[in-house]
Amino acid sequence: MAEFTGWLLDLFEDPQGGIILWFIGADAARIRLRQPFTVTFYASGAPALLKKVEAFLHSQPAALEYSHTRRQDLYRHDAIPVLAVTVQPCALSSLVHRVARQFPNLDLYDADVPLAIRYAVRHDTFPLARCRVTYAGEQLQSLSVLDSPWDLDPPPVPLRTVSMEADADPRCQTPRELLVRFEEKEHHIPLRYTRSSLIRLNTILQQYDPDLILTTNGDVWLLPYLLELAEKNRIKLQLNREPKRDPLIKKEGSFFSYGRIVYRGQQFLLYGRCHIDSRNAMLWQNYELTSALEMARVTRLPIQNAARCSPGTGINVMEVLTALRHDILVPWQKTHGEEIKTAYDLLQSDQGGLVYQPLGGVHENVGMIDFVSLYPSIMTTCNISPELPIPTRIGKSPFPPGIIPQTLKPLLEKRITLKQRTLSIETDETLRPYYKAQASTLKMLLVCCFGYLGYKAAKFGRIESHEAISALGREALLRAKEAAEDMGFEVLHLYVDGIWVKKAGCDKTDDFLPLLNTIIDRTALPISLDCIYRWVAFLPARVDSRMTVPNRYFGVRQDGSTTVRGVEIRKHDTAPYISRMQENLLGIFQNAANRTELKQHIPQALEMVLARYRRLVQGEVPLEELVMHRRMGKELDTYKVSSPAATAARQMVEIGHPPRLGQRVPLVFTLGKPGACAWHSQIPIDPQSVNYVYYGRLLVRAAAAILQPFGIEEPQVWEYVLGEGTMQLSLKNMRMAVFPA
Amino acid sequence: MGRTLPSANQYLIQEQDSFSSFRRALRRSDQLALDDLFAAARRHSAAIAFASHALPFEAALLSMLLEEHKEVMRLRQQVEELQKQQ
Repeated sequence: MAEFTGWLLDLFEDPQGGIILWFIGADAARIRLRQPFTVTFYASGAPALLKKVEAFLHSQPAALEYSHTRRQDLYRHDAIPVLAVTVQPCALSSLVHRVARQFPNLDLYDADVPLAIRYAVRHDTFPLARCRVTYAGEQLQSLSVLDSPWDLDPPPVPLRTVSMEADADPRCQTPRELLVRFEEKEHHIPLRYTRSSLIRLNTILQQYDPDLILTTNGDVWLLPYLLELAEKNRIKLQLNREPKRDPLIKKEGSFFSYGRIVYRGQQFLLYGRCHIDSRNAMLWQNYELTSALEMARVTRLPIQNAARCSPGTGINVMEVLTALRHDILVPWQKTHGEEIKTAYDLLQSDQGGLVYQPLGGVHENVGMIDFVSLYPSIMTTCNISPELPIPTRIGKSPFPPGIIPQTLKPLLEKRITLKQRTLSIETDETLRPYYKAQASTLKMLLVCCFGYLGYKAAKFGRIESHEAISALGREALLRAKEAAEDMGFEVLHLYVDGIWVKKAGCDKTDDFLPLLNTIIDRTALPISLDCIYRWVAFLPARVDSRMTVPNRYFGVRQDGSTTVRGVEIRKHDTAPYISRMQENLLGIFQNAANRTELKQHIPQALEMVLARYRRLVQGEVPLEELVMHRRMGKELDTYKVSSPAATAARQMVEIGHPPRLGQRVPLVFTLGKPGACAWHSQIPIDPQSVNYVYYGRLLVRAAAAILQPFGIEEPQVWEYVLGEGTMQLSLKNMRMAVFPA
Repeated sequence: MGRTLPSANQYLIQEQDSFSSFRRALRRSDQLALDDLFAAARRHSAAIAFASHALPFEAALLSMLLEEHKEVMRLRQQVEELQKQQ
């Protein structure tokens, strides 16, 4: 028997039974081991029905054994009688579906738990866990985990990473080269000479033997394309580390979430090594690999699945893990519905977070105070979980912690520690972005936990628990508002878990500390001073300037960084040229310390807007900077009116690239009919046909959104740009917008 | 996720729409004043929602009255200041 210490990289079912595990050895070796491992699912129903199921299983060779037992259902007081069915992991899914088809009235449990989660329950593992392993031949004998997903500074894992990307976006032009980077090397592989290119790529993969393949567009285009080329040339492409298996391709799909259709592209998954497509990974844009690895560690999902999964799926899997550790059944399809309530109860409970209309205009020295992870803190402090009675007030619960608080507690504690480290001056600067990425990943999981509790199909969801969290959140925010007013602060805005306050003479952190302490005393929930704004401008609604909008504001913090919400710069469908103009406009005001200085920057700001407007209408802006994206909200043939998205989508269909439901279609607005043209290398656009008037309108509107709080409305911006800057601006008469309180 | 009842803002918009015939029959100057009243109610949509009143239009009317009274207080203060200056 031999042993080694290494890191668990991947595990998956073995078609011959049991599982296959891949480890990264401390001596740079990559070790493949097998382990016998069976999984169990449970069926519950009337005794006569269970007898029939037993008879059916008798004819199913996949069912290794089955027996009657009792297990705990989360929503019932006593354990319930169930039929336990044990199978090989590779046979689970097909047997479950056969049983479900044959017996539709049967309640199934533990039927869709991912293999990595089952293994984590039994062995306490997680992706990249440091393990002590003993083995004989290719069989794993024992495994003990040496660290924990909650460790803040785990030792670095010697991961070998290869990145691959084409030299052009395939949607815009045909790529000519494949760029392959590893360590300090960069290889340019021409895509013209197919056979020799594939052989060169295979050589790199065999010699360097990467653990991670990072791609751009690898899921939907690059890897399927390379695989197709390899098949045509009868070359076995070594993308997989597992030699006898083909990569797993999960089909694309569209789903409905938060009132809109979302498109999810196809997934290209590998065995024995991990593939991450930066275009198909959550949080990749801001935090790259750190976020994906943190997600994998805490959710225990394999790295390539964790990188692609939504935070909702992540938190759901974590709740499943907690349930399994307590021998609680995990329902396959949830049957616990919403409880019956009176109309008055519904009126009381069916509410969201407390949101004010902010006091519009520019305000100086504003403290932004927010509760630290308000909803998760309420869930853990007040012990809110679907199986427990609903608390009616903020305070400690008399019951032992439920499934949800148990799942959230370590997440919450780790996030708070990481956030403290990101803010601490003692933190090593090189580590600060790393901690920030981890904290942001955990924040996403925590935020989604609240939403998931109210989701009707969530395995451990209960709408009444979700409503109770909202109610206690509103109560906490109102107590914070009352504390601020009692201490002489003016409350400018309340937004779910944050409160914006100001008071004459308060412009330093210490000035706000007594208020923070009072709020903690009154709510027993953690709170922090997020920042002090030098100035912040709350903006009016575009449709009705008498009204302010809760989440439409911008401001500059005392450290010089900016916060922007709800304007064009933050919207995904804004043309890059307009976003950049707005960004530069904010940059002009960024250095202003107060309202007086803000006014002084207005002439410079208007000159910049005029220059950008001139470049635009004179056709000097490259077309790619005018590309906008519109989401396909419904199937193409159901569009009654030919919207820009539908027009562009039809053009894409004509060239053989039909967009899928929920996908964003890139387009440029053009003159006359049909009014829009899809942005694709195979669809030529005459620059003279671009609707510059429309883009000019968007540019002026975006400029006015920033200038309005400084007293310049949209008609004045128009007057300025159409008059070529000849309009005389009287700074003396310019009035900063301040709405009456 | 998702709500059964309309939010206070949605409710106020629906309520304003239901008065469109009433608004149409008013003089232009009165129409603008009516729009101001509904805008005043929307400034207190958080309080209207929090009240969870079975008849939320009462809370909306109270919000309009509140804004009117604030305006009266502001004007009264201005008058007093002007009187002091004389």
